[in-house]
Amino acid sequence: MTAKLNVLRYVLGAAMLGLWRNRTMTLGAVVTTAVMLVTLAAFLAINDTLNEMVTALGRKSNLIAYVRDDARPSRVTEIMQDLEQRPGVGEVLFVTKEDALRIFRERFFDQRDVIDILQANPLPASVELRMDDPAVLPGLADELRGMTEVFESVAVPLDVVERLVSISNVSRAAGTAMIIALTAVALFVIANTIRIAVYARRQEIEIMKLVGATDWFVRGPFIIEGAFIGLVGATLAAVALVVIYLQLAPTITRIISFLPIATDVSFVRNLAVFIVLVGLVVGSIGSYVSVRRYLAV
Amino acid sequence: MIVLQNVTKVYPSGTVALDDVSLQIDEREFVFLVGPSGAGKTTLIRLINRDARPDSGSVFVENTDVTRLPRREVPKLRRRVGMIYQDYKLLPTFTVRQNVEFVLKSTGEFNGRTARWVDEALDLVQLSDRADHHPHELSGGEQQRTAIARAIVRRCPILVADEPTGNLDHATSWDTIQLLVRINALGATVLMATHNREIVNTMRRRVIEIANGKVVRDELGGGYDG
Repeated sequence: MTAKLNVLRYVLGAAMLGLWRNRTMTLGAVVTTAVMLVTLAAFLAINDTLNEMVTALGRKSNLIAYVRDDARPSRVTEIMQDLEQRPGVGEVLFVTKEDALRIFRERFFDQRDVIDILQANPLPASVELRMDDPAVLPGLADELRGMTEVFESVAVPLDVVERLVSISNVSRAAGTAMIIALTAVALFVIANTIRIAVYARRQEIEIMKLVGATDWFVRGPFIIEGAFIGLVGATLAAVALVVIYLQLAPTITRIISFLPIATDVSFVRNLAVFIVLVGLVVGSIGSYVSVRRYLAV
Repeated sequence: MIVLQNVTKVYPSGTVALDDVSLQIDEREFVFLVGPSGAGKTTLIRLINRDARPDSGSVFVENTDVTRLPRREVPKLRRRVGMIYQDYKLLPTFTVRQNVEFVLKSTGEFNGRTARWVDEALDLVQLSDRADHHPHELSGGEQQRTAIARAIVRRCPILVADEPTGNLDHATSWDTIQLLVRINALGATVLMATHNREIVNTMRRRVIEIANGKVVRDELGGGYDG
């Protein structure tokens, strides 16, 4: 037990000493990791905001399918039940011819005479969809348009939604690409830092191996160095994130108050925790890879 | 204590370092390993502490076949075999004492009890008064004695030396040999590869001669040239 504790103490001490001896490289790796993680956080925040916006706008936008007067009511009910099960569909409402007329009267109060002249109700009944995910709207609209025996026409407020969806998709793709590239860069920088640390201590390592030090004793300090670099870089990034949030959030909320920008505290807190975890994992993996490669025990 | 059975080692370049070598070294023996450069002496030594593995054959150290030792077990073997090299392999930034302590620290064995072992080892190699010097402040002989203290501090039953006097002058070489003889008398099995004709001829111990990867002579009380 004391032996294990002694080894642990040595491993931690050796790691700190190694970081200090290589402090320029250490600093470089920490800063690179921090920059990578801040950028990562920014992308995640932007993505989250865009997704929120798309969802929010989607809730406001409806699909309206006008029902033919001669459509069988049972068939309409059947379609509505089916639509309710579809992913991305929030609410399915049926507006009867009478409802439509009433709404028309309310909305166009001064022109109700026009309606009164007519003997029959010219307005069609309709099925209205309120969406959770507007991304499925275009496909759904095409499908309903195909049911010519039931629907006269289908109206979709497409342009805004489509644009938002495509922006959100592009941003997601760009974000993913950036995240992969930045993670690769951080991994490379940390792995390289550890490689140099291994090289600087190759004599010590050789002797350790010859006198019977265990693998963990030889590798431990390097793994901990990498994890430490990742952790410190991530902590810096998390602090920067919180500072930026505190500075910017009130301004952004004021300027675009009508949109649900992802600026609530829990989101930022989760993001900060996530960033720190990513830093730790990237640091550990980077050094482990390096140690595996350059430290054949 | 150390047994080689039909050991063959061929390097990737095609060089045959050891060719069907079999030999046995018993407990508390003192054995010289001689032969021209490139004969396979260093390869043989590296097989004993699993610094290398043979292509075929078995190497037993204290009745364990070290060629079949799982990776995890290799450190345990190396803690039983003290190694001494021509170039000392000391850590330049460590003092004499730290170099010796390092062996115990690297395995988590350093504590109040083993700290005394360090003093005893330094005492045996007569470096107690230089314990706080760094290697560059020492003579070659003192550096080699530091390495010997490091090799024996854990009270290894086996001591293997590869050309320990290769970088030392005449008088210092003799000091080193006397030290190894004392350690042998204290109970350790000693295997020493050497080119030092005078030492081998004077000591008249068991001599194993290797040439072109084969044992060509194994003689008790032998001389350098047989």
